[in-house]
Amino acid sequence: MSQTSEQIKRPVQRSEMSKIQWTWKEMKRNKTAYFMLAPFLILFIVFTVLPVFLSMILSLTDFNMLEMPSWKGVTNFTRLFLEDEIFILACQNTLIFACVTGPVSYLLSLLIAWFINELPPKIRAVVTLVFYAPSISGQVYLIWKTLFSSDAYGWVNATLIDLGLMTKPILWFENADYVMGLCIVVALWTSLGTAFLAFIAGFQTVDRSMYEAAAVDGIKNRWQELWYITLPTMRPQMMFGAVLSITGAFGFGAVVDALCGFPSVDYAAHTIMHHLNDYGGQRYEVGYASAIAVVLFVIMISCNIVVKKALSKVGE
Amino acid sequence: MKKTLFQKAICLLLSVTTLLGVFGITSYAADGKKGSNQDTASSLEDMQSLVGVSSYEDYLAANGDSFVSGLPVINIDLNDMVAGSTGVKPSESDECKQSFADNQQNWANFGDNWENSIYLPSTGQTTWNFKIPEGAASYYYIKIEYYSCITSESSISAIERKFKIDGKAPFDEASYIKLDKSWSFDQVTVLEETESDKEDGVYITYDNTGKYFDDDSYYKIVETVKNGKSVKTVYKMSVDIIGNSMSPSIEQEPQWSTYYVDDSTGYYHGYFRFYLLNGSHQLTLESQREPVIIKSIQLIPYEGEGDSIPSYEQVLQEYAANGYQSASGDITTLEAEFPDFVSDSSVYATNNNTSAQTYPSAPGSQIFNVIGENSYNSVGQWAAYKFTVNESGLYKLSARYLQSTLQGMYICRTIKLSGGKYGYEDGTPTVPFMEAYDVQFNYNKKWQSTFIGDSKGNIFQFYFEEGVEYTIYFEVSLGSLKELIYRAEKSLEAINDCYLRILQLTGSNPDPDINYDFYKYMPDVPRTLLVQAIELMDIKAGFEELCGTNGSHIATLETIAILLDTMGSEEGIEIAANLSNLKSYLGTLGTWINDSKRGGMVVDSFSIVPANATEDVLPRAKSNFFKSLWFEFSSFIYSFFTDYDMMGLTTKPQEDVTETVNVWLATGRDQSNIWRSMIDAKGGFTDRTGHAVTLKLVTAGTLLPSILSGKGPDIYIGLGSADVINYAIRNAVMGVSGGDKNLTQEENEIFLNHYYTYKNPDGTYEITKEYKGEENLSFVSQTFEENVGDNYIQAAMDTVTLRGVSYGLPQTMTFAMMFYRMDVLAELGVRVPETWSELISTLPTFQTNNMEIGVDYISALDFMIYQKGGNMWLYTDNEDYAGAKIGLGTDIALESFEYVCRLYSDYSFPITYDAANRFRTGEMPLLIGGYTGLYNQLVVYATEIEGLWEFCPLPGTEREDGTINYDSLAGVSATVMLHGCNNVFAAWEFMQWQSSAEVQASYGNKMVALIGPSAKYETANINAIKDLSWTARERAAIEDQIRNMSSIVNYPGSYIIARYMKFAFLDAVNDGANPVDAMTEYLDDINSEIRRKREEFDLPVLMPDEDPPTTSKSATK
Repeated sequence: MSQTSEQIKRPVQRSEMSKIQWTWKEMKRNKTAYFMLAPFLILFIVFTVLPVFLSMILSLTDFNMLEMPSWKGVTNFTRLFLEDEIFILACQNTLIFACVTGPVSYLLSLLIAWFINELPPKIRAVVTLVFYAPSISGQVYLIWKTLFSSDAYGWVNATLIDLGLMTKPILWFENADYVMGLCIVVALWTSLGTAFLAFIAGFQTVDRSMYEAAAVDGIKNRWQELWYITLPTMRPQMMFGAVLSITGAFGFGAVVDALCGFPSVDYAAHTIMHHLNDYGGQRYEVGYASAIAVVLFVIMISCNIVVKKALSKVGE
Repeated sequence: MKKTLFQKAICLLLSVTTLLGVFGITSYAADGKKGSNQDTASSLEDMQSLVGVSSYEDYLAANGDSFVSGLPVINIDLNDMVAGSTGVKPSESDECKQSFADNQQNWANFGDNWENSIYLPSTGQTTWNFKIPEGAASYYYIKIEYYSCITSESSISAIERKFKIDGKAPFDEASYIKLDKSWSFDQVTVLEETESDKEDGVYITYDNTGKYFDDDSYYKIVETVKNGKSVKTVYKMSVDIIGNSMSPSIEQEPQWSTYYVDDSTGYYHGYFRFYLLNGSHQLTLESQREPVIIKSIQLIPYEGEGDSIPSYEQVLQEYAANGYQSASGDITTLEAEFPDFVSDSSVYATNNNTSAQTYPSAPGSQIFNVIGENSYNSVGQWAAYKFTVNESGLYKLSARYLQSTLQGMYICRTIKLSGGKYGYEDGTPTVPFMEAYDVQFNYNKKWQSTFIGDSKGNIFQFYFEEGVEYTIYFEVSLGSLKELIYRAEKSLEAINDCYLRILQLTGSNPDPDINYDFYKYMPDVPRTLLVQAIELMDIKAGFEELCGTNGSHIATLETIAILLDTMGSEEGIEIAANLSNLKSYLGTLGTWINDSKRGGMVVDSFSIVPANATEDVLPRAKSNFFKSLWFEFSSFIYSFFTDYDMMGLTTKPQEDVTETVNVWLATGRDQSNIWRSMIDAKGGFTDRTGHAVTLKLVTAGTLLPSILSGKGPDIYIGLGSADVINYAIRNAVMGVSGGDKNLTQEENEIFLNHYYTYKNPDGTYEITKEYKGEENLSFVSQTFEENVGDNYIQAAMDTVTLRGVSYGLPQTMTFAMMFYRMDVLAELGVRVPETWSELISTLPTFQTNNMEIGVDYISALDFMIYQKGGNMWLYTDNEDYAGAKIGLGTDIALESFEYVCRLYSDYSFPITYDAANRFRTGEMPLLIGGYTGLYNQLVVYATEIEGLWEFCPLPGTEREDGTINYDSLAGVSATVMLHGCNNVFAAWEFMQWQSSAEVQASYGNKMVALIGPSAKYETANINAIKDLSWTARERAAIEDQIRNMSSIVNYPGSYIIARYMKFAFLDAVNDGANPVDAMTEYLDDINSEIRRKREEFDLPVLMPDEDPPTTSKSATK
């Protein structure tokens, strides 16, 4: 590390070496950092990056989980977009789902975090727990299954029958008319998760002196304070929250399965995620499922780009 | 259009069935040949004879207190049987003769009773005539001498008979009698006589340190010393290679026993007495379970209170009169985990590592060191221990135990003794005094070590004579809690009754704001609720007085009482608002009673202590702090090093993988342990074939990735039939019927030929294709055809067969049957419906009482098609095109689909319901569901309705010729051999062994033995079913349903059918869509998915309007 005075050399110029050489040199120089990054990086590459590329390759085959795949070209994709009506339905559901739950849960997280931030610390801790609890308590969403049980003794059914509003129990989670709405409600209820915590943390990190400076500069009200000071300062947290909201909204599948069964009646809450599971798990068509995954991946990435663009406008 | 037509049809059917109901039913009953569920269901008369039988209390009250003393004993002449009795002399019974020829050891204790006893098989009934002479009308005890024989009909159950005098149960409690069998452990060896310098006597020692024998097993050594010569009897409890005890195998001991008719439920102590008038009578024993041989039935005249069993006070007086003094010898300690006999196979030793003081205890391994917990807690179960004292005199008993289940409650055991002056001549134990019914074990979170006594504070003393072998029985009983629990049970009945009455008036979802005027319509309901509130509080007070504390367990009663009080007061105005609460509290009370009856505790050891000893000499209850700390710490450390794959292995797995069969299964730990022990047992798979087996417990989703990575097993047990076909068509499982194109010719030959394995005396195995005689023959590998034989029904085989090749041997088979509440049906006067139209015609009766019928729509949608003679698939006869098109579009299928939809839309069958709970309350007296699933749930969950329900085959659909089709559908899982299997021959042998009738039956029985009656196993091997522990009636019903069974064959794309049928059903039920239209809409989708799937596998496909090209036969069978 320490260099003696005799060894001093002329500094290396960036222009003297190729990009690869330069990168390699920089990596050697920062090897400690890379070493420390390595455990995560290796795991990330092996279990996240590699599978993504693998599934891209598999999406061009007819892999069935049990036999060697054979090459199929883009047939999977043509079938997906041109023949598979249920995929179109799933896309539609996913978009409705993502467009409603994604932004709403995001804004809800932000607003509630802002509101909670205004509370005194002790109360804040309690209220934070209250809002955060549903998302950490594992399968607590099953309470909705009890509430909206199809049994005549289910809470909602029993209440509605008691009130004389109906005579026969409604099969809440097995009726195409209600499934989507209910799932969105449940999704929102469980959505105040990590993003919400990040927001709370973000609000805490805002430098107080900025508000004072801003007040001097002529900020008129709390809204302006929020828009011009608070939000721009916590852009990283907002980006993080947005990514989570998007992946959450697109990947929302397990809850629907647990509540409505798989597949949901008439595919009413069938999302791309479900379609993927259907082909990958039930029909042993992993090649086709990979194609779906690739499409989903592309949608998510593009959403992220759009959101990133949008967030850069915050505070302008 | 369709709707009106349908309604008309139903109206017509209704009127016809009502008409038929008057005279038709009797003609049906007489003509049983047609075949329907009536063959095995209880008749209405049977069910009605069940209800309205008085209790023992009422029976005694009705017959008064008078008796005649000094009457002679009356012997019933066993040969005086009425015609139609199934009892025969053992010498004339084929079963007995066969059993004697097979194994004379089972008849060693039988003696020369071949001519003077009667064999009662496990089915049918036997009735004897007897006379009470003039002037001898009095109370009698009934004494039966029986031999618990082992014949081909025997299984692991206790012997159960329905008991009738003059054609009916004299009172409710005596309607069933249970005759104990005795079971003992088979690993007992007697060592040769050696010299000894010990004093004469019997010494019992225990060892698990390898001090006496060169292995780590746990031993009980009983050393009898006489004149300087010692004989040792050694009991061995084996351990696996990592030091865990393995469940010992136990065997039934056929023996003569004496039985007085008494209460098997534990509510009455002592024997029942029966009032018999002068003249002729008949006594009937109707078989429920198990065969038995009876030597004598005697009527012992009642001689007043205390004539049969003395009180403890009398016993003490007798001790004083005889001048018995306290003994002064040593303490004899009996480790509870080594019982000499147990009442049934589910009483077994277990491991408890909660105290370092428990002997033996080894941190990190599970050595059996206690008995009890969940396996030894229901009334009537006992464990018995033999012992001999070395000095005559009075002794006390002590126990080291942990009783921490029911907070604030105590539990009871009955002590029975045999040997010396105790018990009958044939060795049957007796209760030495009345108080011994009530041996009390108090609640404590910690281990206790105390003397044994009753609730009144007596510490019992027993007189034991030197050198005499005694056997002490600890039987689970209700003790002094029996009255209170009995009252709670009666209270539950009364409240349940109220609940059903309330439902009649209000329906299941009453409006809380309406005044239903209970005082006007059913004034007794609010009154009963109030009475029961007081009763429950009274019971609670009773418990508090007996237990001396107010534990959380007892507090439940108060909560319920408060609700009843609210509901009962103010003229019942609160009833409607609280009805759903009442319903859930009914469940709570039922569970409460179950829990209270369960006398579970963990016993480490019993000691026989001289009567003048103090508590100091007893084994320590708790270990000291440092010992505990060290024990806990080392257990924690050991937990990192335990290799769970080694569990249950007795030998290290061999390195040579080709000789080892690698088996996976995705069930529970218990199931896996049972298979392990059966594979390793003497005469088990490894012993017979020489192939080692590794058995791995995996989670269900592991198989697929493992096949992909090439790390899969050779054999997988319990793969669902749909997956079998899915895997088969992708070449991942192997065909075992010899036609698999992926196997070599040689490998295919294996499934088509006989191979004989001979085990040479030196332990080597020889496999030949030639038969070399019976000597040393240890296993025969048969052909596929022979293995299927008559073991599986065709419907089950169809589900694992694709294009003529079978891809596995069926393992389990589940199917829907009908469960019914006999008491409710009897009360309503409704017989078990024989057909669906009869079921619908009885619906009004149910509905006026706000009761419902529970039918699982998913199975109903399927089996109805087959009952109406349809098939899920078209062209099933055409090998190429079978499964190319769905049969749902046929008229039959659409009609049946519509029929099922109408059940829910027009007749308001509930779609979602909590089956077990509503069956329990009686709201849903008819229930259709999977037979083992529901049975297993009800048998533990709803013990208060035990004996009040049964199951029978499904109601059927009438065919045109008047016969009835009552098919159910088989859901099959199979044992399969996976592609990449290293040693096809060894794997095939394993499959044969594992699915053979004998092994399947033994597995099913071990499951019940280990886990209890709620672990009934739904084997697919129909020859195994007869050896499982079903009652004769249950077995008949199951076998009847199996004879009437279809299945939906799996073809590529099958998964899509259930999905779209469900969609169509929900469309019809939710939105009132026309069922036929709803279903038809999906037909194209289904067919195109099937077509797509078939194209994937290069199978011939059919376009929508296309029929198979060759001479196509329509597929409806």
